[in-house]
Amino acid sequence: MIGPDDLWWVLLIKCGVLVVFLLTAFAYLTLAERKISARIQLRYGPNRVGPFGMLQPAADGLKLFFKENVAPAERDKILYLVGPSLAGGAALLAYAVIPWGTNNWFGHVFHWDIAHVNVGLLFILGVTSLGVYSLFLGGFASNSKYSLLGGLRSSAQLISYEMAVSFALIGVVILSGSLDLEHIVGSQQGLWFIVLQPLAFILYFTAAFAETNRLPFDLPEAETELIAGYHTEYSAMRFGLYFLGEYINMVTVCSIATALFLGGWLPLLPFHPFDWIPGPIWFLGKVLVLLFVMIWVRWTLPRLRYDRLMNFGWKVLMPLGLINIVVTGAVVALRA
Amino acid sequence: MTVLFAVVIALAAVSSLGVVFSRQTIYSALSLVLTVSMLAVLFLLLNAQFLFAVQLIIYAGAVMVLFVFIVALLSPDAEDRPALDLRAVIGITGVVVVTALVFIAARNGITYSTNGFHGTVVGTASDPYHTFNFPQDAVNNAGNVQTVAGQLFTNYLLPFEITSMLLLVAAIGAVYLTRRSSR
Repeated sequence: MIGPDDLWWVLLIKCGVLVVFLLTAFAYLTLAERKISARIQLRYGPNRVGPFGMLQPAADGLKLFFKENVAPAERDKILYLVGPSLAGGAALLAYAVIPWGTNNWFGHVFHWDIAHVNVGLLFILGVTSLGVYSLFLGGFASNSKYSLLGGLRSSAQLISYEMAVSFALIGVVILSGSLDLEHIVGSQQGLWFIVLQPLAFILYFTAAFAETNRLPFDLPEAETELIAGYHTEYSAMRFGLYFLGEYINMVTVCSIATALFLGGWLPLLPFHPFDWIPGPIWFLGKVLVLLFVMIWVRWTLPRLRYDRLMNFGWKVLMPLGLINIVVTGAVVALRA
Repeated sequence: MTVLFAVVIALAAVSSLGVVFSRQTIYSALSLVLTVSMLAVLFLLLNAQFLFAVQLIIYAGAVMVLFVFIVALLSPDAEDRPALDLRAVIGITGVVVVTALVFIAARNGITYSTNGFHGTVVGTASDPYHTFNFPQDAVNNAGNVQTVAGQLFTNYLLPFEITSMLLLVAAIGAVYLTRRSSR
C-alpha cells in the first residue's frame, strides 16, 4: 500500500526537518557542553550573547564561517578536503534510520524515520564504521606529525571499540529476534531492555564514548600530547565540520542507546497520564538524559593512557560482551 | 532504478580503474574503498540489504581501514612510471574483452525477470530452503537475515564451520607470529 511515507515530497520534508534538527542539536549541544562544564567547575559559562547565552552558538557559527582557512602548504590537496566532508556526511547519514516512532494519521501509518531498512541496526554500524576514514584521512593529509599520530590512533581505537559495540548489541538482537530498529523498540513494550540487558547497556555506552572520541577515551585528539590530534591543521569551517560530526555522532549513539535499551518512543509507564505525551517527545527526552550523562562524564573523568585504552577495549569490554552473548543465548534457548 | 544501476556500476568501474592507475598507493587503497562501497550499494539496489550492511562493515569498515592504515604508516613514494604504457593498454583491452564476453553471455543464456534470478531448482516447492530459487517477495517476507541464516545453518553448515575454523587458525597464527618473544 502506498502510504504517506512513500510520497517524494514527504520524504524531502522529512530530510529537511532532520537536517535542521541535527544542526540545531549540534549548536545547542556545544552551548550545553560549555554551560554544564562551567557549572561543574564553579563558573558561569557563556552568558553575554542573548539571554542565558542562548545566542552563543549563532555567534560561534558566524565566527567559524568568516575565519581565515589556514592550511599546511605540503598537504594532500584532495584528501585534506575529503576528511572533514566525510566527517559531516557520515554522521548525518547514520541518522536516517533512527526510529522516532509511528503515528496513525487519517488511516495512514506515518513513520518518523526517513528510511525503513529491515537491517537498520547493521546499517548504522556500517555507516558509522566509515567515519573512521574522516579522522584518518584528515590526520594523514595534513602532513603533520601530530595529525598523523592522531589519525593512526583514531583508526586503531575505532576498529577495536567497534567490536565491543557490536558484541554489546548482539544481546539485544537475540532478545528481540530482529535487526529492525522499529521492531526492537516494539518488543520492549512492558519491559525495557536495560532491565534485561544491563551489562550490554553499560558495555555499549562505555564503548560509545570511544566511538565518539569523548573523554575519557579522546586519545585521537588528546591536547596535552597531540595539540589537537587529527584536526590540528584544520581551521575555520573545515574544523567546524569535524566539530559538527563529533557532536552529531554523540546524538546518534545516544539515540541508538535509547532505541535499543530505553524503550525508544515508549512512555515511562504504559498508562495515563504518561501515554498522553507523544512518542517523539519521549524519545527526545531520553536522548537528552543520555547526552547530559556524556557531557557530565567528560568533565569529571581524566583521560586514559593509550595502551590502557586498548587493553580495556580488548581485554575487558570484549570478553564481557562475549559472556553476555553466551548467557543471553543460553537463557533464550532454554526458555524457548 | 535502471539509471541508478548505471551510475553505481559506472562509479564502481571508474574507481576500480583508479586502483590500478593511481600513482600514489594511498589513492589506490582509497579507490578500492570506493569500489567496495559501490558493490555494497549494488547489493542494496538488488534488495539484499543484509549483504549491503555486511559488505560495508567487513570490507569498507574493517579490512580496508587496515589497508589504509598500513599504507599511511609505510608511506611509500609515488610510483615513477608514465600514466599510460603498454601494460595499461593491454589491461584495458583485457577488461573490455571480458566485459563484452559477459554481456554476450548474459544476453544469450541467463534470464532475469522481476521475480528474481532463476537458477537451478534443487529442492521442492514446499521446502524453499532446499532450492536455489529465491523470488524477491519470498526473501523480503522472511527478511534477508533469516533467509541467509536459514541457508547458512542448514544446507551449508559444514563449509561454514570449516571456514570459521580456518579463520580462527589464521587469527591464532597471526597473534603467535607477531608476539614479542619473551626469551
